[in-house]
Amino acid sequence: MLKSMLVCLVASATLSAQAPAQQERRVIRVTAERFSFTPSRIVVDAGEAVELRIRSDDTSHGFRIADLDVNVTLQKRGKGDVRVPLQVDAPGRYTFECSRMCGAGHNFMRGELVVRERTQGSGPR
Amino acid sequence: MLKPPLSLLVPLLSLTALFLSVPSAAQAQGGSDGGSRTGPVSGYMDFHVNKELGQDARIDFHRFVLLLNHSFTNRIRFVGELELEHAVVEGLEEGGELELEQAYVDFLISRGFNVRAGMMLVPLGIINERHEPPVFHGVERPFVDTVILPSTWFEAGAGIHGEVGRGLRYRAYAMAPLDALRFTADEGIRGGRQKGVDAAARRLAYTARAEYIGVPDLTVGAGFWTGESAFSVPRLNTAVRIGEVDVRYQRGRTELRGQFAQVGITEAAQLNAAIRGQTGIQPNIARTLRGFYGEAAYRVWDAGAPRDLVAFVRYENFDTQYRMPDGIPPLKTLDRDAWVTGVTYYPEPDIAVKVDYVHVRNQSGILRATRSFNVGLGWWF
Repeated sequence: MLKSMLVCLVASATLSAQAPAQQERRVIRVTAERFSFTPSRIVVDAGEAVELRIRSDDTSHGFRIADLDVNVTLQKRGKGDVRVPLQVDAPGRYTFECSRMCGAGHNFMRGELVVRERTQGSGPR
Repeated sequence: MLKPPLSLLVPLLSLTALFLSVPSAAQAQGGSDGGSRTGPVSGYMDFHVNKELGQDARIDFHRFVLLLNHSFTNRIRFVGELELEHAVVEGLEEGGELELEQAYVDFLISRGFNVRAGMMLVPLGIINERHEPPVFHGVERPFVDTVILPSTWFEAGAGIHGEVGRGLRYRAYAMAPLDALRFTADEGIRGGRQKGVDAAARRLAYTARAEYIGVPDLTVGAGFWTGESAFSVPRLNTAVRIGEVDVRYQRGRTELRGQFAQVGITEAAQLNAAIRGQTGIQPNIARTLRGFYGEAAYRVWDAGAPRDLVAFVRYENFDTQYRMPDGIPPLKTLDRDAWVTGVTYYPEPDIAVKVDYVHVRNQSGILRATRSFNVGLGWWF
């Protein structure tokens, strides 16, 4: 019986150690339409696991964060959203932009991902 | 109840067949978008059939537009836009136009500050910078965006653009001015666009737009233009000052739009005299032109293309003779308003099938109101 209790304790400790890696990502919904992303400024903490759920309200835009090697094609309106998991450890400002020609204002379609230094008590925004 | 004229039945029946056939095709593909592809060239096209009551129907391939883009580096990019209007351009003949609407290089420096130079779209109004066929309702662009703000309005120049704070975007350009000697009574300042054609630029014009997108579903914009516009007539200092505000709101199935624009022309009396001296005809140029519209649209079928249908109604008021110089009476036929109502069907999100009915009234007691049925097909790729 003592052996069983020890196995349970080890198992529960193992599960607890695994919990942070499986924690839920904060979902940030982004809408793309000619010629803007909404929100155009996204703030996350360094090391925070987030998931961008990006949908288009019109054509098939692209979503690229060049410095993070992210480049996806969005589905056209009504075809669903694209999910981009992110966890950025280095604080800084990262530009995101439309990477698929979408019209006359294509180059206006840019935004900023702000990765803040994680300080004690700082919450996601 | 008004019935569509017989000459419009063939295109309407063809489009109905398209409407009925596309769901079957989509179902065969399992409802997917079929994996549309785009190459290095993008563009948009639209053609339409217009039938004014009491007149013959007219079919026009209105626009064939190609957009080119090239990235020299991640931060230096070129965008070009070439437009062919009305299918054919023949020398010295009344017909189509081939225009270089955009050809600029962007130097993307930071979120808040970027530099652009070349042939650019004037940043005024909803339509001038955002006029791909699937993004506006109605077979033709709004009247306010044609006779008050002369879209598509493009000029050579340079300027800056960017975004600050939580969604405040701006652009500010110095551009070639308008040529006031080409203004007209019915189309206002439209004829004065120099379009980068060896443009006279004794004094530059300045234009800017601020746009707030910080509230989800809402875009609010305001812009201005100011510039001296008479440079070939000594001692004539006509200037043009334009102010406009616009708003777009989209929530769920509902879309709302509104825009107000006013154009002021200084020394309008002297401008009229100068043009009359050259042509022998009184041009009747106003000192103030004004236009506004409100539009409501509702997505009646919201199951994703090809089950995507929007009904809309728009009221427009546009007067190119709103205020006149002393001694020049306004032409009441040019004090107009219009009701435009119709539907936009999307067999695919980048294709718009448009049907509308347009009723244009004027304040003269002589010229009758016009009514027309119109059918159009536009697409972006």
